[in-house]
Amino acid sequence: MFEEPFRFVEAIANRREYIENQIATGSPVVALNYAGGILLLTLGRERQKIFEVYDRIALAAIGHPGDIERLRMTAIELASTEGFTRSAGDVSLRRMANYSISPALKQAFEQVYGAPYLARMLFVELGPDAGQNTFLRVDYDGAIQTNGTPFSKTRQEYAALSGTRPSAEAMERFLARDFKSGLALREALSLALDAWTVGFLALDAEGEKKDELPGSDAIRGARREQMENAAVEAAVLENRAGSNITFRTVSEEELTALRGNDAG
Amino acid sequence: MKNLFAGMAGEPFPLPPGEPGRDTGDFAALLQARGLYPAAGAVLMGVPGAVGNAAHVPVQTQATTILAFKFGEGVLVAGDRRATAGNIVVYDRADKVLEIDQHSVMAIAGTPATAWEMARVLEHSFQYYRRTQLQEMSVGGKIRALSKLLRDNFGMVMQGVGVVVPLFATYDAGPNPEAKLYFYDVMGANFEVAEYAATGSGSPAVRGVLYYENTWGAKPLREYSRTEALRLVLRALDTAAEADTATGGVDRNGRIFPVIKIITAKGIETIDDETLRGLFNAGRHLPDQPVSAGVAVG
Repeated sequence: MFEEPFRFVEAIANRREYIENQIATGSPVVALNYAGGILLLTLGRERQKIFEVYDRIALAAIGHPGDIERLRMTAIELASTEGFTRSAGDVSLRRMANYSISPALKQAFEQVYGAPYLARMLFVELGPDAGQNTFLRVDYDGAIQTNGTPFSKTRQEYAALSGTRPSAEAMERFLARDFKSGLALREALSLALDAWTVGFLALDAEGEKKDELPGSDAIRGARREQMENAAVEAAVLENRAGSNITFRTVSEEELTALRGNDAG
Repeated sequence: MKNLFAGMAGEPFPLPPGEPGRDTGDFAALLQARGLYPAAGAVLMGVPGAVGNAAHVPVQTQATTILAFKFGEGVLVAGDRRATAGNIVVYDRADKVLEIDQHSVMAIAGTPATAWEMARVLEHSFQYYRRTQLQEMSVGGKIRALSKLLRDNFGMVMQGVGVVVPLFATYDAGPNPEAKLYFYDVMGANFEVAEYAATGSGSPAVRGVLYYENTWGAKPLREYSRTEALRLVLRALDTAAEADTATGGVDRNGRIFPVIKIITAKGIETIDDETLRGLFNAGRHLPDQPVSAGVAVG
């Protein structure tokens, strides 16, 4: 039946709807530049969502844990073998996403008899300076969105990952309004947590207030409530003297400071 | 046997979930599956006749001096900088003390090509394990990983090339936090060291110095301060270089100092040349006039 074009389109549309439903409840992830590098933050109760991929690359993902694991392993294998056979400097997020991960995701998505990957991923790569940090989102169908091309002069300094498009868009609108360059880690954590809260609220706010950002009181209230229900998971990519490894989990002490900070 | 992974190297994705290395975090297995494992050639090129033929077994290719000992702060690893081929000095700035991860150092005596490749595999192995398995490899696992690399390389050794005799030092952050030091033989046996270890052509002299100081000196090496430890290392390497042409020792005129790294709970620290220069020059007896009777002065 798939020889007929419209059936193929229909099958793909069904598949898309199925996957969107599967990942719609995923807790959002925020990524943004701060003075030391890139911060990734989410809230969760069940499992780890933010992972180290290579010296300067990290990954956050929502979706089915089995699929996320396969994609995460693949990314680590690609980066590690490239870094081993050539050099760490040859490992590039752009190459990895464009030439390996995206084509494979697209192939799995369009082969309608096989299982697609139920995963939406946000990769970040620490560049030589803040202006060259890369945020790259890869969707279950292989679609890629980045914060800039190699030839673009200015790059967006944040990115959002969420289960639904309105939620991700709300987070980006919020960050477009409130993000400032060169934030200290503590401020960046607080801003990321607010952005997460905006995304979280937007997951439920389908329909009515889709285009409107919640007020700061609403954000603060929801943020406090959610921090009691779930744990904050945060990691950074930051340059460190004497080490090529930039990934670090944000410590419990750094997060405790955040809990006390009601000012938002 | 059919190679299950034939053709995999060019298309690394998507992979079957059961690929070697994926479940266990074994980077060497991943390299083998992709045909990238450096020691793989050793097996293919193995010449049966060469095994057990003493003429093929290298007598002395570890022309260098590396040493390590435990002292007050942790463990110290040092190596001279000279690389030789026969009686030729090839390079006077070789780095034989290599950082493998944030708490581990491998010091190498032997064939640089093999040793550096081993260090590279090891470095990637530990990081690959941490990234895929989401936990740090245990010290036991790290020690074993180097053993396995040495054993896989033994086919090459029996053909007369690629001898590597490393030292491995790390900090075990486990239930009993402690600096750990190991040395290996060419086949991959690992020996844990309680106090000090040295390998390479200059090691007899260094072992003499370390044994003497540890046993008869003012105090055992374990109680040495950082300054005392550094001073001893410089003197031991200088002593080794005095008789062994393959050991670079300390070249004050060329400003080439040994590479010395200290491993503590906090990580690895490399000692800068200025510190070493100050320590080396202080307390050194220099003759007032040229010495005639067979004593060389550096």
